[in-house]
Order: sequence, then structure tokens, then C-alpha cells
Amino acid sequence: MVVVIFSDCATAQRQKDSAAKVLDEVVVTATRTENKVSNIPLPVQVISEKNIHFSGSQKLIDILQMQTGLVIANNPLGTALQGYPNPFGDGIQMQGLDPAYTLILVNGEPLIGRNAGIINLGRIAVGNIKQIEIIRGPATCLYGSDALAGVINIITEDPVKNSLNLQAHYATNNTIGLTAAGAIKKKKTALELFINRYSSDGYDLDKNIYGKTIDPFVDYSASAKLTYNISIKNKLTLSARYFSEKQFNNYLIYPQSEPQIVKGTTAETDGSLFARYDHKVNGGLNYTASVYTTSYTNNAGVYLKRNDSLYEKIQLTDFLLRPEIQVNVGKNPAVLFVAGAGYNFETVNSTRYSSRKELDAWYAFVQKQIQWKDKTNIIMGARFDKNSLYPAQLSPKLAVAYKLTPAFILKGSIGAGFKAPDFRQQFLNFSNSLIGYTILGASELGHGLQMLQKTGQINPDINLDPYMRGYQLSPEKSIGINAGFDYTINSHAVFKVNFFRNDISNLIESYNLPFNKTNNQSIFSYMNLDKVFTEGTEVNFSYNFNQNFSLFGGYQYLIAKDKKILQQIKDGKLYKRDPDTYVTTLVTKGEYKGLYNRSRNTANLRFQYNNLGCKANAFITVKYRGAYGFSGLDGFQNGSGVYTDERESVKGFVLLNATVSKRLVTRWEVQGGIENILNYKNPLLMPNIYGRTYFINANFKLEK
Amino acid sequence: MKKKTVKLSVLALVALTTGVISCSKKNNPTPAPNLSVSVTDSIQVPFSSTAPYTLYSFKDSSVVPNSDSASLKWDFGIRFVNIIVNSHASGPGNAAVITQPGVYETFTSAPETGYAYDTTTTQTAIDAGYTTGWYNYDPNDPTHTFHPKAGQFFVFKTADGHYVKMEILSVSYLPFTGPVPVTLIYKFRYTYQADGSRNF
Repeated sequence: MVVVIFSDCATAQRQKDSAAKVLDEVVVTATRTENKVSNIPLPVQVISEKNIHFSGSQKLIDILQMQTGLVIANNPLGTALQGYPNPFGDGIQMQGLDPAYTLILVNGEPLIGRNAGIINLGRIAVGNIKQIEIIRGPATCLYGSDALAGVINIITEDPVKNSLNLQAHYATNNTIGLTAAGAIKKKKTALELFINRYSSDGYDLDKNIYGKTIDPFVDYSASAKLTYNISIKNKLTLSARYFSEKQFNNYLIYPQSEPQIVKGTTAETDGSLFARYDHKVNGGLNYTASVYTTSYTNNAGVYLKRNDSLYEKIQLTDFLLRPEIQVNVGKNPAVLFVAGAGYNFETVNSTRYSSRKELDAWYAFVQKQIQWKDKTNIIMGARFDKNSLYPAQLSPKLAVAYKLTPAFILKGSIGAGFKAPDFRQQFLNFSNSLIGYTILGASELGHGLQMLQKTGQINPDINLDPYMRGYQLSPEKSIGINAGFDYTINSHAVFKVNFFRNDISNLIESYNLPFNKTNNQSIFSYMNLDKVFTEGTEVNFSYNFNQNFSLFGGYQYLIAKDKKILQQIKDGKLYKRDPDTYVTTLVTKGEYKGLYNRSRNTANLRFQYNNLGCKANAFITVKYRGAYGFSGLDGFQNGSGVYTDERESVKGFVLLNATVSKRLVTRWEVQGGIENILNYKNPLLMPNIYGRTYFINANFKLEK
Repeated sequence: MKKKTVKLSVLALVALTTGVISCSKKNNPTPAPNLSVSVTDSIQVPFSSTAPYTLYSFKDSSVVPNSDSASLKWDFGIRFVNIIVNSHASGPGNAAVITQPGVYETFTSAPETGYAYDTTTTQTAIDAGYTTGWYNYDPNDPTHTFHPKAGQFFVFKTADGHYVKMEILSVSYLPFTGPVPVTLIYKFRYTYQADGSRNF
């Protein structure tokens, strides 16, 4: 196919190497003001609209996992569900931290509705993304909770000119994507509209299990953005976003070990409204006032196929309202002072909580940028979060860049981050009907225990007084250090290195209470317990050989370990038992490989061939995910409870994608691609990977 | 039906070793013979927190029928991850247990005191708690298996006053089709001192 597309124009493009410069992109996420990447003393990465377009992909998670150091971490809880729909979805692991530790923003505002810490990235359609900005290292000093590993900010198109874009996408598993996006600009007013329908029949990786691995689904997304320039100094922006997904579930349940088919749906909706007013008071002072509100719902209901009676219903509604103001003083970027404050009102309602729960919080942040003698760029910032449920948090950050030579910039930063206890850890009140255990959130502990004792599920002799006030959970905290350099070898080659270390403390873990229920099953709650660290190196290089041909590569080396385990090893308290010989020995420091599900080595390559003469483009991406540990792989157990044996290593694998694009006539383009060309499969551990898939896109673009 | 595999290889090894030693020291007065019996066994336990306990006798190396639960015939019982010993709230015997850290093989002498009993039905001698108990359980492990902690075993005083050291080696499942296992397989090894002494 590639040969055919490029054959008719082999001689058309023989340009000399010229102006194939590596771009210095402008980003907004790192400092909450527009800034060139080279000016920011933090590890920043940009995925451009072009990259997304040339990949032809419809899935944000697939685009993200091709980036340096980012891997898909699917919640393993969802993998062994034997045909049950995975309620958690897949998230992105960054700097070795779980998906719950990366903040996901759309146009600078957070998405809510995490399930087991994971935001379903399928909620974001890729058709109108202008660029994706990824900041590594704690960004809590600007964005508050959850931004420990960093931030992924998805920025959508602004209506800057009249345009119309249409796309039809067809792929394996009867996957259909239809997209329409249009913008109208008239004097002071501009409007951007976007709609997308995306559906798939899903697939089945294990025919022995009733029900599909990925159930069929239909997604609808729509968004609108309106900008109105009241005057040169005043601007109003209004935007709205809506997403809905309906999954069609069909699986077996075992009520009394007698299998029964249940059918039903899981419906997710996510909507937001946003209003912002920008006012330039004078050349050196401007402010932005905004209100953001968003709501997320997840409703699942399944019915017995036999008699259509309701088997189970689970509902969750999450709501957030956030007014915010930000003031910028000074001219960018030499001397800029940013200050802001906001208020968060969040509520959650779920069938698994005893009542509607509320969270009140306000916050304020300041940031000062200093450019000193053209060579040094310093950013200092701090944020204060006051919350109704947990102790107040102060999160400072300091970042420095120093130009050793114009081409060689040293960068270093240190910052504090936190992750607030989530609603589940605070409020869950859930008893497993099959096994009989109970989980109570930390705030729910007193109330929940009392109810259990009243209903005779806890022995009346047990004194519950010590638990009546619940347990005060503290946020999980981190200190993140990033240091490295950007070396611009020449105008078309850049080499970047970043060393990172994250120390996380106060990790919230479940534990069991020292007494059991009358059915002899445990009662669990949550407590701040563990300490872990992740450290490693990220290397990136871009090389534009000429105007037609560019290469981007990345590599990450990662170590992630539990400090409690290291202490146990040091104290000679951690043993392992060989599963074949039953010989018990102490675990040595060298044998401990670290946390499960972290690859020591990951690498990625992106190769782009652009032939302007024949209006064609080839785009190839490769991702290597090195071996990683998986608890209990193939039934392995050595009693150490940690990753200490090769037999628990999942082999590394390579994902290879290729897309070719060809302009047919002025406004039309066709794209064809193959994803996962090497046909990698691992149904148990990576149910999100189907195997090799094919797609074709027809694109129409009109601009005035 | 319950499947039982008793491996007497350890016992055979012990016998062989004693044999060699006794040969070389032919002329010396023979010390009291070590009557310890070493067994590796597997028992099947229903995956259920409401089923009756599966009871076991160290002396007979076998499962004891539940009709004998009010007798001294059994020493310990397992239901799901909970383990009881034949004493107080659990049975008429005087069985007791110590959860012992360290290496099973090199442990040669049972302590005289420090044994725990099943004082009430919800406060049993062996801790089966999710984080504090005798096993590791990783909620993220898709196989949902209980991994007996290495470097930890049990020292029992049996219902009839003998001493036993016992280590749970693995917990696995019989193949199952639904989302939840039906039968757990407990594999364990133990040394039963038949002469009544505390030495293994």
C-alpha cells in the first residue's frame, strides 16, 4: 500500500535539507500562562494535532501509550471477571505511578468520576483535540489534588476561522466513528461545534467464557465553544461538553452456583459547562474569572434473562462546581506574577454509600516567574488547599532552568503533591453478599459498625467505642524531584534527559479490624499506611532529517519499590518459600524487584514520512513495554507477598502501528492503518488488546 | 470425593538418616528412637464462609467427618481462610497453637508455653485477617489466591497433648467455570511427635 501511494511521486520531492526545525511549542499547562517549552524548567511534552491526525487513531489511550514512559495500567481487578464487564477501564501509568496519581484535564479543567482511581479515557473524543500537554512531576502547586505524577491536559480546538471537518472511520470489530466539526467566525463572535458517534461490537478473547471480553458499546460526544470579543480588552468564552456511553452487557452470574444469564446496560454520562471572562486591565495586568461545573453519572442495571427480573443495580452520581479567579501581573515571561483562588463544591451519591456526601474546599495559589540575566529562569509557586474532610495542605514548588550555552539548558525542579482521600476511602459502606466481608470507609467506620452490631452481625460484647469517631484519613503526599537537560544539537535535532524521583508517603491502604463479624468474616477499613518511591530516567530525542522525514524516540528506565518491604528485608523479616522444594530463605535486597506491574524498561519510536509532492504521509509508531511483575502469575506463589521471582515476570512486548494518509483532491483525504501489526495478545492480563486491527478513514476538510 | 495424597518421602529420608547413624554407632547404647512422623498432605475445602469446617487429624493424617466434631479425633479445622483448633469455643479438646516466625526446617523444639486457644468463635487462636493473618492476599491479583506467608508456620499442641509443627505450603483452587472458585486445595506439611516430647 505504501509503495502504491508514494510511487507516482517519487521524483516530485527532492528538496534540499531546509528549515526542518524542531518546533518550540507553546504550552499553557505548566505555568497556567502561555509559555514556550524551552522557557519552562519542567519536563513538558506536547502531542500535536498533526500527530493525532496522522495516526488516524480514534482512541486517546492508544495515542497516550505511544509516548515516553506512559503505559496502560488496566486495573487487574477487572481482568479476572470471567466475562463480567470491566467496571474500571484502563488508565495511564506515569513515572511508575498508578492512573489515580495523574490529573486529567480538558482545557485546564478536571474530569471527575474516577472508578477505582481510573478515569475512563474513552470519554474524550480525539476529533477536536488541538494539542495534548503532558507535564511530569508534581503539579499540585497549580492544580491541587491528584497531580502527583503529573498532568495530562487535553486542549480542544478554538474557533479561529471558518471551517468544516468531517470524518468517517471504519475498523475491525465493526467499529464505526463518525465525526463532524465546524467553526464559524463573524467579527467578534466565533463558534466551534463538534459531534462524534463512536460504536463497536466489542470482541471476545476467550470463547470458553460466556459473554464478550469487551462488550458492544455506543458513544456520543458533543461539544460547543463560543468566544465573544467584547472589546480588545474583554473576552467571553462559553463552552459545553457532553459524553454518553452505553455498554450492552451480557454475562453469566452464579447466584447459588447455578449459572444464570443476565443482560443489561452500563450507562456513563459526563457533561460540563464552562464560562470564562478575560479582562486586560492594562499592559501589565489582566485577570480571568471562570465558573466550571461538571457532572458524571454511572448507572448499571442487569436483569435475569430467565424472567426479566432486576438482578442488580448500581448508581453513581458525581457533581462538581468550581468558581475560580486568576490574576496575572507583569509581562510574560520576564517577570510574571500569577495569583488565583477558587472554591470546590463536590457531591457524590451512590448505591454503595449510606447517604449523599458533600465536600467543600477552597484554595489559593501564587506563582512567580523570574528571568535573570537571560540565562536563568526561575519559577516559584505554592498552593494552599483547605478542605472540609481532611487537614489543610500546603504544596510548594521550585523550578530552575539555566542556559549553560544557548543550546544546552539545565533544568531542575522540586515540588510537593498530594492526593485527597477519595469518596470510596471515606464513605464506602459495602458488604459482599457472596463471601460476607464488609468494607467501611474511614468516616463511615463508626456508623457502619454500629449498624452491624444493631443487626446482630457483630458480637454485642465487642466494645465499639474506640471506632465511633471514625479514622481521620490524611491525603497521600509526595515529594517529586525532576532534573535533567535539553540539548539542541542543531536546528533539527534535540536531545532531552530527565531524572526523576517521587517519594510517596501516607498511602491509603485497606486493613482489617481486630475482630470479625459473627459470620467470622473480616471488616475492612482504610488507613494511611505505606510509603513507596519511584525513580528513573526519561530520554527523548527528535530528529528531523529533512522536511519529509522525522524521527522521535523515547526511553524510560524505572525502579519502583515499597519502603516497608525494604525495611523488612533489612530487618531480616521477609522470607520466601520455593514453590517446588519448599525451602524457606530470607529475601535479599537484590532479589526484591519492586512493585508489581512496573516495567523497568519502556521505549517508543515515532517515524514520520511526509511527501508534500504527492500529498501523502506515512506514520509509524512503536512501543516496547519491557517485562514486569504480576502477582500470582500462572498460580505462582512463594509466600513473600512481593515480586521476588522471575516466574512472576510477564514477558515484554512490542506494539507496532502504521498509518498512511493520502490527499485525493483538494478537500478529501483517505487514511488506512494497521494497529498492533505484530498481533500481540494477552487475554488474561491485557484484555484491552484485541490483536491486529485494521482501519480506514475518509476525511473532508473545508477552510476559509 | 476428597482426594488425598500423602507423601512419605520426608519420613523415608528421616528413617534412612536414622538408619545410617544407628549403623555407624552400633556399639553405643541406642538413644530413645525419634518417633516423629513427617507428612505432606493436601485437603479440599469448600470455597464458602458458611460451610462446616473441614476437620483434620494429625495423628491419622486424614480428614475427620463432621459428625465427630464434638470429639478429640480432630486437631484443627479449615473453613475458607479461617482455621480453628480443637479447644474452648471450637471443640472439646485442649488443642492450642503458636504462630511461629522463622524457618520450618530448622525448627527443632516446640516451646513449653505461649499457646493460644480459640477463646470465642470470632477470636480464634490463628489470625486469618486480610492484612495481619497467615496469608498474603493481593486484591489486584486476578487469580484471587491466598498465598501462605513464607517464614511463618504453626506449632500445635494437639487435642490429645502431642506436639506438631505445621506449615501451609500453598492454597490453590480446583478448576472452576464461574467467577468464583468452588473448592480450595490446602497443601501443608507437618511433623507429628508421637513420643509426646517437644522435639521434632
